[in-house]
Amino acid sequence: MVESPVKAKNVVPKKFVGISSLIIFSVLLVCWIAGFASRLFAVIRFESIIHEFDPWFNYRATAYMVQHGFYQFLNWFDERAWYPLGRIVGGTVYPGLMITSGGIHWFLHLLNIPVHIRDICVFLAPIFSGLTAISTYLLTKELWSPGAGLFAASFIAIVPGYISRSVAGSYDNEGIAIFALQFTYYLWVKSVKTGSIFWAASAALSYFYMVSAWGGYVFIINLIPLHVFVLLIMNRYSHRLFTSYTTFYILGLIFSMQIPFVGFQPIRTSEHMAASGVFVLLIAVALLKHLQTILTKQEFKKLFILGALAAAGLVFLTVVGLTMAGFIAPWSGRFYSLWDTGYAKIHIPIIASVSEHQPTTWFSFFFDLHILVCTFPVGLWYTIKKINDERVFVVLYAISAVYFAGVMVRLMLTLTPVVCILAGVAFSCLLEVFLKEDQPATAQKEEVETEEPEKEKKLYDKAGKIKPRKHESAKTENKGLGSNIKSMVVIAILMLLMMFAVHCTWVTSNAYSSPSIVLAFYNQGDGTRNILDDFREAYYWLSQNTADDARVMSWWDYGYQIAGMANRTTLVDNNTWNNSHIALVGKAMSSTEDKAYDIMTSLDVDYVLVIFGGVIGYSGDDINKFLWMVRIAEGEHPKDIRESDYFTERGEFRVDSEGAPALLNCLMYKLSYYRFGELKLDYRGPAGFDRTRNAVIGNKDFDLTYLEEAYTSEHWLVRIYRVKKPDEFNRPSLKPTKRALSDYATKKVSKRRKGVIKNRPVVVKGKRSTKAN
Amino acid sequence: MKIFVCILLIIYSVSQSHAELKKETLVLLDNLATRETHSIFFKSLQDRDFKLTFKLADDPNLQLAKYGEYLYQNVIIFSPLTESFGGSISVEEITQYIDNGGNVLVTGSATSGEAIRELATEVGFELDEENASVIDHMNYDQILDSGDHTTIVASPKNLIDSEMIVGNKNVKPLLYRGTGIIADRENPLVLPLLTADSTAYSYIPDSPIKEYPHAVGRNTILIAALQARNNARIVFSGSLFFFSDEAIMSQVKKIGERETHEKSGNLDVIDAISKWCFKEVGQIRVKSVKHHKEGEKEAPASYTITEPVVYTIEVEQMINGAWKAFVANDVQLEFVRIDPFVRVTLKSIGGGKYQAKFKIPDVYGVYQFKVDYDRVGYTRLYSTTQVSVRPLQHTQYERFIPSAYPYYASAFSMMFGVFVFSFVFLYFKDKPDKVEVEKKTN
Repeated sequence: MVESPVKAKNVVPKKFVGISSLIIFSVLLVCWIAGFASRLFAVIRFESIIHEFDPWFNYRATAYMVQHGFYQFLNWFDERAWYPLGRIVGGTVYPGLMITSGGIHWFLHLLNIPVHIRDICVFLAPIFSGLTAISTYLLTKELWSPGAGLFAASFIAIVPGYISRSVAGSYDNEGIAIFALQFTYYLWVKSVKTGSIFWAASAALSYFYMVSAWGGYVFIINLIPLHVFVLLIMNRYSHRLFTSYTTFYILGLIFSMQIPFVGFQPIRTSEHMAASGVFVLLIAVALLKHLQTILTKQEFKKLFILGALAAAGLVFLTVVGLTMAGFIAPWSGRFYSLWDTGYAKIHIPIIASVSEHQPTTWFSFFFDLHILVCTFPVGLWYTIKKINDERVFVVLYAISAVYFAGVMVRLMLTLTPVVCILAGVAFSCLLEVFLKEDQPATAQKEEVETEEPEKEKKLYDKAGKIKPRKHESAKTENKGLGSNIKSMVVIAILMLLMMFAVHCTWVTSNAYSSPSIVLAFYNQGDGTRNILDDFREAYYWLSQNTADDARVMSWWDYGYQIAGMANRTTLVDNNTWNNSHIALVGKAMSSTEDKAYDIMTSLDVDYVLVIFGGVIGYSGDDINKFLWMVRIAEGEHPKDIRESDYFTERGEFRVDSEGAPALLNCLMYKLSYYRFGELKLDYRGPAGFDRTRNAVIGNKDFDLTYLEEAYTSEHWLVRIYRVKKPDEFNRPSLKPTKRALSDYATKKVSKRRKGVIKNRPVVVKGKRSTKAN
Repeated sequence: MKIFVCILLIIYSVSQSHAELKKETLVLLDNLATRETHSIFFKSLQDRDFKLTFKLADDPNLQLAKYGEYLYQNVIIFSPLTESFGGSISVEEITQYIDNGGNVLVTGSATSGEAIRELATEVGFELDEENASVIDHMNYDQILDSGDHTTIVASPKNLIDSEMIVGNKNVKPLLYRGTGIIADRENPLVLPLLTADSTAYSYIPDSPIKEYPHAVGRNTILIAALQARNNARIVFSGSLFFFSDEAIMSQVKKIGERETHEKSGNLDVIDAISKWCFKEVGQIRVKSVKHHKEGEKEAPASYTITEPVVYTIEVEQMINGAWKAFVANDVQLEFVRIDPFVRVTLKSIGGGKYQAKFKIPDVYGVYQFKVDYDRVGYTRLYSTTQVSVRPLQHTQYERFIPSAYPYYASAFSMMFGVFVFSFVFLYFKDKPDKVEVEKKTN
């Protein structure tokens, strides 16, 4: 049973073995180096720092783990996050990333190489991009040919869709998860091909690493069962499939449940039910196949129909029953939003508010994948034409990934590897056709590789008992092509690839290499570069000038940064697990100052931090995010906050004098524009001109009652306010409007002489007082 | 060396207590004659170790603070006619003084000056209109009243229900002549110490009533007080007369009553109010807060859910210039994470210590031990101590639960079965061989 198609390699003539492995080795090495180098733009232009938002938490957690040890990390209860709820970090985090970099740190220190953990964190993703390239090569080699594998590896090394998540400093789960994903798929394909328990168990182990690294493991645990299911439908059941899936599923299930954050989810949530369903189905099919060998045809037919109906009913009822009883959690909102793109906008604004959860535009497909997006259907067509067990897998992978990438920008990341694989297949097939006669050495190599699948095919056919299908061989088509046409096509292809490389470098350098905590802009006149370091300036101020246990309220985007850089307690952060707590902060931000003060005192807020881009024209500031705050707050407090209040009558969101009164008086507006009305940005323009929204603000002259400005960074990007304590409102004085005797209120304004007593007997010097007489 | 230090400390504490004994008090007057007409009150203060500094309210050399330090612990403003203060004192200066913890006793009168009115609004009161007096045709005093029924006899029943502030309510009737005070209803800190009877109203006595009076019946406050959030105390009386020797010594004969009281109850009430106002009574503070797990002594870095915890708070009260143990039976503790999860009454365990033992709830998070003892007459006692409550560590869960034994058994029997089976599978080779041989032979 354990026939190894890998043996097909024997076909390579011995004299080429050395040279081809040298080529493979050097191409992969170059991939690794090129991939690593192109991810260093941010480090070279700025410095070796952690980027953006989530990486700051990962870095903080890693530093904690390195400092306190793994068990302390596992039991880490972070009282500085989600005040006053706190967060069990060990149980709510995918620890794979921290363990990986912690392990590297430990190993390097074992060798007496003193590297700071931050540098490991910064360079982890670029290093892993090389591993991703290698595993992509392996996967493509299993699916098609080593030549296609090399193409795929060099594509994935520099493709922007993957670089966007793995530049130096972007220390996030995805950086290592894509490697784990590709490697798991490689091992799965290998195990399906061989049917060996060893490869299946390896796939389960790799799956375990993936589970520990990223929540995207759900993609694997649904795609692999889908693969099995489709194979069953295509009547491609084999013992190899049975062995590999049962081994993989059981081991993978047990492994995945070892991650505290995952826990019992694999047996209790709907997202994981497909895997167990397919497991049951596979066993049922195996049983039927077995019965088929024992029973007569008539008996078998009866049994099959009866058994199938009973089994289907039973499975359905169990799942429904368990879901009703609460043993299986229904689909989560994030999952629904994958099917219905409008779902999140209506029901869970917090998901919709994240820019990377928006549907992908056509533009970004080309931007992230360039030429690959055009060639990958070609590869898909080739694979469908020459279908076999493992190619079914890549077809399913491609189709599902394309769908998901269309739903969410973020899932572009899962599409990218399969696009690289299939584009690799396409390019390899093309060059195979056009390079053959002109360059014998390469052609020979390619030829050898194309034979491989054919060979495999036959072997599979034997095992799977499928009638061999007729495929046109690649060799038959191109006999008549002239060498001129061939070389022209080859040159055209090379040009395309070159343009692809240029595009990748350009995108990486311009779009994906900004740390986002340090901003840079170029002077229009002389082209010199200016650095805006307001974020770090403000966070440093917080860490130096506030009490150690001071609680900082900000919108959740900045939670991780405040915790990571300023080391202060935050109310909400990027781990958006508690919607109602976020809604409370959103409500405070969108209420008037006195209502917000009640919320802020109940949450013991000491400081409020807002991001304001009006001075420098930074578009990602809190006013532009404000509508999401309103929407999220409205979701939880529909009586107090209504989104329509913040629009003008014509449905516009504007901050100038025509803006909605609710907007012009809410806390966020006041905190953003406090004292901004006095600021003249240039000599010609009016005071209080907001550069981000190109408008003169509507509410210029106001004072803050319950807060006071504590710090504003150099370019006004970060503004921090101190919330006054209740005892600072020592004695509620009677406001003029509330007085019963209104006529006295007006007198107060007039300036009076000092020291006057009414009806005082005036003593005139030199005269006798009349009273004395 | 030690002895020397001890002696120094003793000297220091003696001088300190001496300074405390002589409570510096500034008295602002319209007219130095007030010093004579209110001598009983001032004498009583001086007997209680107050050092009174009498100044005219328009004295150009007036100052409250010198080199950033306040010269006086208390201020008495007996100058209702002041339109504006002299020297460096102004209404802002006085409110700032209050915000820094100073105590103020102010009186108005039927013709209050602008400064007094402004000061009143700053602390949440209003004095009634110019020339308006509290009039009560049913409760005026027959002896002192000049015919417009403004010298009213206030019943001690109308005093606020707090012995700490106004003393015993079983005193003789009170004599009052002055304006009414209107309090801000939304101000939670205002205390109406003395209100008029239901038949009283506040209006200009000689003019016909054209509009509805601002203060009618029991809404007419005669003496109001405010304890600010920083525990500064302000007493505002609508009547300077209330504190005068005349009112204290006079006989009281209320209209419609036959009985003539030898003396009014004013002195008792003035005494009590001034004691309260100048913080001689009703001052409490937290001395120490301790919390730890039951059976331990020190506070842990963080608690774990469902642990038993012991919380002890020591409260002191100022009695005759010294901090002594405070005795009460209604001090409550809350264990709060946004909402209180636990609310218990602290048990007094002697020596001013109060203790509560409870089990931490089964919810992790950042909690606060909160004691908020806010009683009329006492300074506010507010103490919060933040602790974090963490979930169980991975080693703290139960390792072997009885209900799981069937599963353990099944797991081990399975392992055993596989072991046996593998033996059978590996070493039971003969038969298939035979079969094959048989097949071959067939």
